[in-house]
Amino acid sequence: MIVHIPDEPPHDLHHQPTVSVFASSINPKHANQIVRRLNQIAPLEGLRHVKRIRKKVLEGGQIELSVVLCLAYEADNQLDVVPPHLQEFISSYQLGPFITKVCKYEATSKEEWQEQCKFWPTSYHPRTYNIDGITGFSEEDSQSVLKFMQSAVELATSGGLVNVVNAAVIVDPSAKQIISTARDQVFAWNNCKDDSCYKKPDLLSSHPVANSLDPQKPLHLRSSCNHLKQSYTGVACLYPCQWAEQQSNSQISYYCHPLRHAAIVAIESSAARDRRLFPNDEGSKEKYLEFDHESPCMSSPSKRQKTVEDDGKLNAQSQTSNQVEDNDKLNPCRQTESNLLSARPYLCTGYDIYLVWEPCTMCAMALVHQRIRRIFYAFPNPKTGALGSVYRLQGEKSLNHHYAVFRVLLPEEALHNRSAETKETGI
Amino acid sequence: MTSPDTHIFMELAIQQAKLAMDALEVPVGCVIVEDGKVIASGRNRTTETRNATRHAEMEAIDVLLEQWQKNGLSMTEVAKKFSNCSLYVTCEPCIMCASALSNLGIKEVFYGCSNDKFGGCGSILSLNLGDAVSLNKGFKCAGGIMATEAVLLLRTFYEQGNPNAPKPHRPLAQQATT
Repeated sequence: MIVHIPDEPPHDLHHQPTVSVFASSINPKHANQIVRRLNQIAPLEGLRHVKRIRKKVLEGGQIELSVVLCLAYEADNQLDVVPPHLQEFISSYQLGPFITKVCKYEATSKEEWQEQCKFWPTSYHPRTYNIDGITGFSEEDSQSVLKFMQSAVELATSGGLVNVVNAAVIVDPSAKQIISTARDQVFAWNNCKDDSCYKKPDLLSSHPVANSLDPQKPLHLRSSCNHLKQSYTGVACLYPCQWAEQQSNSQISYYCHPLRHAAIVAIESSAARDRRLFPNDEGSKEKYLEFDHESPCMSSPSKRQKTVEDDGKLNAQSQTSNQVEDNDKLNPCRQTESNLLSARPYLCTGYDIYLVWEPCTMCAMALVHQRIRRIFYAFPNPKTGALGSVYRLQGEKSLNHHYAVFRVLLPEEALHNRSAETKETGI
Repeated sequence: MTSPDTHIFMELAIQQAKLAMDALEVPVGCVIVEDGKVIASGRNRTTETRNATRHAEMEAIDVLLEQWQKNGLSMTEVAKKFSNCSLYVTCEPCIMCASALSNLGIKEVFYGCSNDKFGGCGSILSLNLGDAVSLNKGFKCAGGIMATEAVLLLRTFYEQGNPNAPKPHRPLAQQATT
């Protein structure tokens, strides 16, 4: 089962948070004037989703209009009377203020919105971008998701049960192709002694998924657990500070890197793959300018993410990028290789990542930077998880990229050794 | 927390940012200081590496980790080293870098301009405060150091991001005072 982890923690549909406001019924003739004036003298800061005017059709077809005047509290104190700066306004239009409730947060679903409008009408803007899967997965897509998650689990457990780490698999879903894979490498570089190893953990570059996956071995999805029985102390995202306690006595051959969590390594290796497959980009006509680093708030927004020498070429490109996803609006920087031999996405635009554990803040933000489209994880990370458990980066509006997050519900036994898994599937 | 040295080190971080700018990278730079001495520096390399996580901080951290382990330091010794290090960076560390710095247990961070979109030291998240659940101690943090110079570099870059444009000139950055 695959569950979408929304941008906001879901509210109980029938108990959505509300706030009190002063409202008043108005003469429809004055509606335009009143709204215009109110927007000037009492803008509804923080309640932009609340409609200023409510229209009610009374018995006999008569129309009643009411307007929100202002919040009915100040610094958490309930107000009994309308604030002074509105008094004159109220008397000039002969309004009769009353207190009512409006929903505090913008609706995240149509169902929420319908409930909200029972209090007072609100506006509802479904996500402007559509990422496959938010509205559900087809049978074929679910199978594909499960298979990729299975390969992540196999990778995570390939060192044996006592040595379970987090693992990451970056996938191009349009070609069902694995782009890169990685295990946590916080302590895993013990086999590397020279610099070649340091630079490039040589992972599989790309191969058809069919080679690595056995369709006869689906993952079991009978149950899911939020609280795993074991602690899995080798998982870097769960214990990001643990590296410091590691007592190693053979330091020379034991390269350790506290920040080489699986997602970080997988990103690095997908970047290495990109450089390998498209080596000529360096001096070519196009240069990406990665603007998402650390730009402070500035007048010129970070939309210009790419500069192209030849404007005509940019136009030609936009026509050829037929693989552009709907969320491309958020990623105006996608590119198609000029030679058209192969579509080359900007960073990981359009790619998915499968992680056995929910990523920590560092990894989740790294995946924002690298423009991953969807994240699938199997087990939550209650200590440092940044995709729903502790933070929820997919809902941080200020970020310049937003991925969709899904949890693939797996039983903890999926982590146990593969022979056990085979036994299970044999039933 | 700030001292005259703060500006000297920030000036060096800005030099790194200018190197990034010259290489057509987003101009952010940093230095890491231990016992009053610069022991590592880094600048943004996201374009060159096609890896958007290669921020200045990550570059400088990797220099240290490689060096210290080559010198035979154990992980506990590496941790102790970091707990004695200060980072000077021209822009508030992003959420990823702030999280990384916190995991490494760095002592303190001085930054230039704040980062209203991605900042992990107060702007969006406050990872510098640490948290009890993951036993993360966080780090001391002070912003706004030579922020004008840092913003100016970024603004110049944004305005002249086109490689076709004449070599970026940075009139005010060169007037930077300590």
